[in-house]
Amino acid sequence: MKRYVLKRLGQALLAVIGAATIVFFIIRLSGDPARLMLPPEAGEDQIAALRQSLGFDRPLGMQYLEYLKNLLTGDLGRSLYYKESALKLVLDRMPATVDLAVFAILIAVTVGLLVGILSAYYKNSFIDYVLNGWIFLTQSLPVFWIGIVLILIFAVNLHWLPTSGNRGLESIVLPAITLAAYPIAPIARTMRASLIEVMEQGYMVTSQAQGFSKRRRIFKRGLKNALLPVVTVISLEFGVMIAGAVVTETIFSWPGVGQLIIQAVSNRDFPLVQASILVVSAIYIMLTLATDLIYHVIDPRIKVR
Amino acid sequence: MLKRKRWFMSLTLLAALTAGCSTVSKTEPAASGSASEPATAEQNLEITIGRAFDVSGLDPGFLTENAQVVDNIFDTLVKRGENEELVPGLATSWSQVDDKTWEFKLREGVTFTNGEAFNAEAVKYSLERVLDPASNAPTASYVSTIDKVEAIDEYTVHVITKNPDPLIPTRFNRYPTEIVPPKYAEEVGQEEFAQKPIGTGPYKFVSWDKGSNVVLEANAEYWNGEPQVKKVTFRSIPEASTRVSSLLNGEVDIVTAVSPEDRSKIESSSNARLSTVERAGNTVYVGFKTDVEPFNDPKVRQALNYAIDVDAIVDNVLQGAAVRTNSLIGPKDFGYAGEPKGYDYDPEKAKQLLAEAGYPDGFSVTLDTVSWYAKNTDVAQVIAEQLKAVGVEIKVNNVESSVYRTLVPSGKQSDMYVLGWSSTNTLDADAAIYAILRSGESYSTYANADVDAKLDEARSSTDENRRQELYKEIQDQVIQDAPRIFLYQENQYYGVSDRLNWDGRVDTSLQVSTITAKTE
Repeated sequence: MKRYVLKRLGQALLAVIGAATIVFFIIRLSGDPARLMLPPEAGEDQIAALRQSLGFDRPLGMQYLEYLKNLLTGDLGRSLYYKESALKLVLDRMPATVDLAVFAILIAVTVGLLVGILSAYYKNSFIDYVLNGWIFLTQSLPVFWIGIVLILIFAVNLHWLPTSGNRGLESIVLPAITLAAYPIAPIARTMRASLIEVMEQGYMVTSQAQGFSKRRRIFKRGLKNALLPVVTVISLEFGVMIAGAVVTETIFSWPGVGQLIIQAVSNRDFPLVQASILVVSAIYIMLTLATDLIYHVIDPRIKVR
Repeated sequence: MLKRKRWFMSLTLLAALTAGCSTVSKTEPAASGSASEPATAEQNLEITIGRAFDVSGLDPGFLTENAQVVDNIFDTLVKRGENEELVPGLATSWSQVDDKTWEFKLREGVTFTNGEAFNAEAVKYSLERVLDPASNAPTASYVSTIDKVEAIDEYTVHVITKNPDPLIPTRFNRYPTEIVPPKYAEEVGQEEFAQKPIGTGPYKFVSWDKGSNVVLEANAEYWNGEPQVKKVTFRSIPEASTRVSSLLNGEVDIVTAVSPEDRSKIESSSNARLSTVERAGNTVYVGFKTDVEPFNDPKVRQALNYAIDVDAIVDNVLQGAAVRTNSLIGPKDFGYAGEPKGYDYDPEKAKQLLAEAGYPDGFSVTLDTVSWYAKNTDVAQVIAEQLKAVGVEIKVNNVESSVYRTLVPSGKQSDMYVLGWSSTNTLDADAAIYAILRSGESYSTYANADVDAKLDEARSSTDENRRQELYKEIQDQVIQDAPRIFLYQENQYYGVSDRLNWDGRVDTSLQVSTITAKTE
């Protein structure tokens, strides 16, 4: 077990460095931060001077080596715009993103499991079709559309909730619902499929023969066995949310990592982009690792090697 | 505690709906409990302003965005009055001593909000730190004509320029020339100053919650009188439609950068109004690379001008969110000479000119465009349609914003490209046209020796009449040469709560000290 975790951690480290490397080169291919930082009126000599003082005039390979060297010492550089430690800026924004992700995943899991169980219970009935149709709809609607419509209904027309910002609990409701809309579908669908599959297993048929009611069979035996694939889906969806819900955060001006990344990319704030991607990919990879370990807890039959 | 209560309230409201008794009236204030609850007393007016961006720093000398927020914390030597005329700020008067020397007489008895005295040394310090090449100040180009600043006595400053510069008073109205307190700035250093700024302005810095908001409070000892708005919160709300929604929901009192599509929402609202600033935005045009075939032939460029129905674009695509113009210079800019005659829509004449130029069957070309301008893709498509009618095939290429900022100044854009320019807040023809018409400038794809000479002379002449004359001549020449398709100048829109007196300005400033409550 210990060896397994260590091995996975090693792999995770490699994956994170890989992500950092890809981002390092891609972002440098598509824009010049010196030009973007200065007003259009700035002269070429001024742009060249700034580029030099930022160190972006040196060969890419040299910049990359220095980046790796600093990375090893835990130095992720300073944001060109905020002139602050890039890592600190990302970590400062993390709590808002985590708040939103936790709320959203709670909503998505509650609704998703409920819908999945119901539609498996009433398999191929009218209820199943209605629920599936609804799920299909929430998944197909663009996030920005859901967000804007929710704002129009609950903020502008009904005046119940604020449109945007992060000020108190009620301001999290609309962005959390918006963010939850998409993952409800994969959770519900996986739950339904997995539960139906389990229900057809031999031991379930046996328990039916033993005279246990359908409800009892599902809740006492079925669910526990059907949950495994659902946990994977939930953990993946949660990981995506933690990576910063770019669209949702922008619509609701939620001050999380997603908005920070968007801003950093459009400014070509290299150190900040790199730091955010590094943090986000590290969290994502750790989440996957945690999921694998949870598997072991849920289903002791799975051997960790 | 308060938060919990509000949460509970929302729950109760939610319960009310599920019970089927949704009797919440439309006029009830938002449950959000924002900073903008109706002011109970005029003397305690607190407002919230929704902008598209958060600041990335609050030091006016080192901004990478505009100065809308910091200009409330700091003062400039020169200010702009109601009609955009230059009026005394921290300088009580200014005059030209000789060709290259300007004298500013400073206001006496002004102190920074930390108690430091405002004087000639502060002016010298504020400018020198920006002019120092080692500091890499982003907006150094706005003051690069200045050679040095000399403190003559406690309240007299001489600004000495490298060459004669007619724009010195204007430059001292605009960032990066805000005056900062030397002692404090030295003591805390550049980085901390940008986090906790101190100035002489009508507002004092309170807090900056990154990515969310900046809060300022009124400076009770302000030299020009304490402002009526006691507390102002600048919130960043990047999504345009959310910004408007938050105004309609009463969470914010003023929103900037209202998109043309959202105008009607504000106009039909019962608690806010639309503030239109005509021609405060960019003058948008389609540039030609005039050194590349077929655009090296003026006849081709003129033909394409005749082929475009600009009125139709302004009326139907932009729904009147811009004003058609052939002028290179905005109406509030120095150098504006009324609306010149340009090219009327005449496709027949366009075809004839194309034939004369040797392109009776037209040609095909790519047109680059970018999201900086309202409805940019739609406008480009309509231009493509209209040019197709005279035989010119256009492929529209929508370029990502940050890429475009790198592409155009390095001359790597397509042979036809959409660009907009404005005098920003110098309100002078020089800023409106020099960078896009002077040959050799990075945004210019035009070269005419005569125009170059005139642009250079106008830039360095301090004779106002002569400058006015030069800009008129430049404009006539450029219209004739047609290095671009002349299109329109964009309007700017703000949404303003009905409880406030305020309107947007051509110089795009947002002076909170001029905002007052409506008295009923």
